[in-house]
Amino acid sequence: MGFFSYLRSTVLSKVVMAITGAIIVLYVIVHTAGNLLIYLGRDTLNSYSAFLHSLGPILWIIRIILIVSAILHIITSIKLKFENWRSKPTKYAVKNYLKAKFTSRTMIWTGLMILAFVIYHLLHFTIRVTNPQHYYPEFYQPHNAVSSVILERFDVYRMVVLGFQNPLISIVYIIGVITVGFHLDHAIQSMFQTLGYNQKHYFPTIQKCSTGIAIIIALCLVSIPISVMLGFVGGGI
Amino acid sequence: MILDGKVPSGHITEKWDKHRFEMKLVSPANKRKYKILVVGTGLAGASAAASLAELGYQVEVFTYHDSPRRAHSIAAQGGINAAKNYPNDGDSIWRLFYDTVKGGDFRSREANVYRLAQVSNNIIDQCVAQGVPFAREYSGYLANRSFGGAQLSRTFYARGQTGQQLLLGAYSALMRQVGLKKIILHTRTEMLDLVVIDGVARGIVTRNLLNGKIESFVGDAVVLATGGYSNVFFLSTNAQACNVTATYRAYKRGAFFANPCFTQIHPTCIPQSGEHQSKLTLMSESLRNDGRVWVPKNPGDKRKPTDIPEDERDYYLERMYPSYGNLAPRDIASRAAKRVCDEGRGVGPTGNAVYLDFSDAIKRLGKKVIEERYGNLFEMYERITGDNPYETPMMIYPAPHYTMGGLWVDYNLMSNLPGLHVIGEANFSDHGANRLGASALMQGLADGYFILPYTIGHYFATTKLEKVTTDHPEFKKCEEEVKERIKKLMSINGKKTPTQFHRELGKIMWDNVGMARTEESLKKALELVPKLREEFWSNLTMVGEEGDLNIVLEKALRVADFLEFAELMIWDALERDESCGGHFREEHQYPDGEAKRDDERFCHVAAWEYTGVGNKPIRHIEPLTFEYVPLTVRSYK
Amino acid sequence: MKLTLHIWRQKNSSEKGHFETYQLDNVIEDMSFLEMLDVLNEKLVLEGKEPIAFDHDCREGICGACSLTINGIPHGPEKATTTCQLHMRKFKDGDEIWIEPFRAKAFPVIKDLIVDRSAFDRIIQAGGFISVNTGQAPEANSILVPKQNAEKAMDAAQCIGCGACVAACPNGSAMLFVSAKVAHFAYLPQGQPERKLRVLKMVEQMQKEGFGNCSNMYECEAACPKEISVRNIALMFRDYLKASCSEEKLELVENE
Repeated sequence: MGFFSYLRSTVLSKVVMAITGAIIVLYVIVHTAGNLLIYLGRDTLNSYSAFLHSLGPILWIIRIILIVSAILHIITSIKLKFENWRSKPTKYAVKNYLKAKFTSRTMIWTGLMILAFVIYHLLHFTIRVTNPQHYYPEFYQPHNAVSSVILERFDVYRMVVLGFQNPLISIVYIIGVITVGFHLDHAIQSMFQTLGYNQKHYFPTIQKCSTGIAIIIALCLVSIPISVMLGFVGGGI
Repeated sequence: MILDGKVPSGHITEKWDKHRFEMKLVSPANKRKYKILVVGTGLAGASAAASLAELGYQVEVFTYHDSPRRAHSIAAQGGINAAKNYPNDGDSIWRLFYDTVKGGDFRSREANVYRLAQVSNNIIDQCVAQGVPFAREYSGYLANRSFGGAQLSRTFYARGQTGQQLLLGAYSALMRQVGLKKIILHTRTEMLDLVVIDGVARGIVTRNLLNGKIESFVGDAVVLATGGYSNVFFLSTNAQACNVTATYRAYKRGAFFANPCFTQIHPTCIPQSGEHQSKLTLMSESLRNDGRVWVPKNPGDKRKPTDIPEDERDYYLERMYPSYGNLAPRDIASRAAKRVCDEGRGVGPTGNAVYLDFSDAIKRLGKKVIEERYGNLFEMYERITGDNPYETPMMIYPAPHYTMGGLWVDYNLMSNLPGLHVIGEANFSDHGANRLGASALMQGLADGYFILPYTIGHYFATTKLEKVTTDHPEFKKCEEEVKERIKKLMSINGKKTPTQFHRELGKIMWDNVGMARTEESLKKALELVPKLREEFWSNLTMVGEEGDLNIVLEKALRVADFLEFAELMIWDALERDESCGGHFREEHQYPDGEAKRDDERFCHVAAWEYTGVGNKPIRHIEPLTFEYVPLTVRSYK
Repeated sequence: MKLTLHIWRQKNSSEKGHFETYQLDNVIEDMSFLEMLDVLNEKLVLEGKEPIAFDHDCREGICGACSLTINGIPHGPEKATTTCQLHMRKFKDGDEIWIEPFRAKAFPVIKDLIVDRSAFDRIIQAGGFISVNTGQAPEANSILVPKQNAEKAMDAAQCIGCGACVAACPNGSAMLFVSAKVAHFAYLPQGQPERKLRVLKMVEQMQKEGFGNCSNMYECEAACPKEISVRNIALMFRDYLKASCSEEKLELVENE
């Protein structure tokens, strides 16, 4: 068992969910902010992307942390879910919920949808196997260049725009990021509760913030494919 | 027979210490050789079982509930008294002792009461150590309040749930011992008989409520902590399952039943809403501090209370007892309510209720003050009745809620049957003819934590007990009798349900043996009860099987015992030709309606011996002497 | 008023249960829910049918015995109210009411609407106490308890052990019950010596009993007739984490 012996404890499993979840949420926030650079134009987005790639080993450390977090998050959640199903073998014929929200009751499903979405997302934009025809290099002249050097970098901007000009792909993304919003609505405040930060005077604020952040992230991310489809972004490509 | 309470000699302040020294001890190594059967897991039972197991005895505990935590001690609201004198208002052990003897209208055993007052302080210490979250001052010290008309603040409380918190304390101590395998816990198991071998209580016969299995358990001592019998009235504030079976069965096996007619009525309960209801909910008496009690002047006035003009209202307590008005003592207020309802002036759907009106108080003090004082009570009232007491008067009616009578026990809490110990509400000893508020919790815990654990050791150390097993013919005989009885109940094949019989019995008892009794009413009841009992045994309907969870059978077994027990109660009330405390014979009262005791003839405990169903039991006497609290007329003037 | 009742009937734990439908006329508004069932039961007994078995006792909302799931909500629709304190005026003439037992693996049905909640008792046995023998207690006022802490302890200690939290939880989790007891003692100085051991042992027993995990849906808090707060669960998680890294934990592991 070793490291995974935490799975035997219901509380420690929860704590692992909260901590790995927190890491992923932080990443999602940064990632969203980065994505919004698309509105600042091709150059900004592409140079941001190039900057990330220039980090080299640091990028890989971040990626490994993320992958490990995601794997732990998924394994733990599935284990918890199976136990939960076992603990409630008979369902009520009629069930009314008082406080449990749609988002909190569907975490496993939104979670699995996000997993599928992320896999697709990675195949699409990171590993680039689903639509290889969208990937072009961009030749550009650095701002601070003295002479007229031309450099080459990935044209992320073009890749995104070409991708989202396909309505099917856009719909997949829209559904994907709305699912992320649903997941986060419950996830963020849940993290605080699990880690023991739930006092009367601030927890209601945390709950509101949780929903707020979830909505903001979902809206920001939904806006990109929509903007592309409507031609607000990348019209020239 | 003149019974001996075995009160130790010496000055009352020294009796318990002296007795503790004189009692024989059981060595630690020998304690584990003794097995004690404890029936009931309320305050008394749970505290006794835990304490005895801590001492090293083998203990088996029985409850008919699914968990020991459900016992009805849990419903006590107000608080628990102790003579700590934390508020520095002049309290002392002596004063608590004095108040309790006087409050009991001089029908309790002085030495027992003094001991109760003595150990009251240890109870608070013990409960605090167990984590009972008593109310605190901002300083962190324990808070006190005055309760039930006491002139001192000696009551410790945990919001309005003191009984719950104390019971959970005792329950946690009990469960700790169960976890340590020092106690075997039998839940959903109801005691149906006591096994007496050669005059010594040696075991019990039980029915497993899940599968109907009849089982025997043998022990070196049996402890009954099975509570009171208010449910003989059908309408009471007791829990639905509270019953007299355990103590009554012990009585049928030779234990004496003392003062069964001493029952207490609480004046401010929420009235019955219809025939379907048996459980009444009690509301704190503090409501009478600001509420005015009234009924319409004209019988049968069905108008809404707010439509009845001032001059057509009868504020009868203020009229009859001008000096106290609405704060007249419990029993007086209760009887007055019954009287006006009997005159046809009662209100509400059943006509058995009087108004408790806060409109004047709201005018005088403002709604906010009333809300602060009684907010939670008003809320509870509204939840149950659907009426808003801020707008329309509350309705109240008295209801039985505690029984002072119980199995007779000596100073060591042992009945006349050696080995049979009785604690808590199930015994008769400490409250006399009337119990003071916040004293029931005190007595239950005193018996369980601090008295029985000492005295039971003395019994073991001074008694040679034969080795017996459940194969003993007496066990087989008892088991057979229990099975026989169940078979009989199952085979009557009549037309009325146990609840119908219970309701009828309750009505007979409430009308004739309730808060006001006369020779005539008692004699009437003495005719009615045996008839009803006869009908029960010939016209009971039964469903289900005996070897299964069968709620009808459970109820029938309990009602069957109530039907016999009721007669014992009537005999006691009839023979006690005086009024005292909760026992009010209309023939004996002062002009102002106060109970008139007859100390010449009745300054004693009446302990009854069983002589067969329907036969008049034999009345034994334990004379009561009052050396330290002089006999005086109870007066609240 | 007239009601249509769909009530779960189950002969015993091994047989399958089913719903039976009963029509009940003449239901009075002032009846409590259990009194309404009493009336139905009387009717059934007079018809020679087996009455519906359900747990109940004090009928004033404190013993924790009553346990029905009414229209999908443990103890019914009224907030902070046990079934015994729920009154029929909360329903309308012609209503259909679904009555089911509390459902969870750790609460097996015994008969009809009665379930076995002894798992709660075993959790308390594992550590829901302060280990003080009778007679050991010091003078009550020798250890002070700040009023705020006493109040918080009392808030948690009000739990009546009814199991509505488990019944309401989609996961059948007992976190609210266990945490109420853990928090009750955690707020008091008397509870400190065993604080870590207590939370470790109680949580362990809770898991053994087959209760589910907490997903922070707070359905337990909403169903709780005593309005016990999920803040207690947060406190328990924190205590458990601390205890997991403590010597107490090592001791427990070594003793196994």
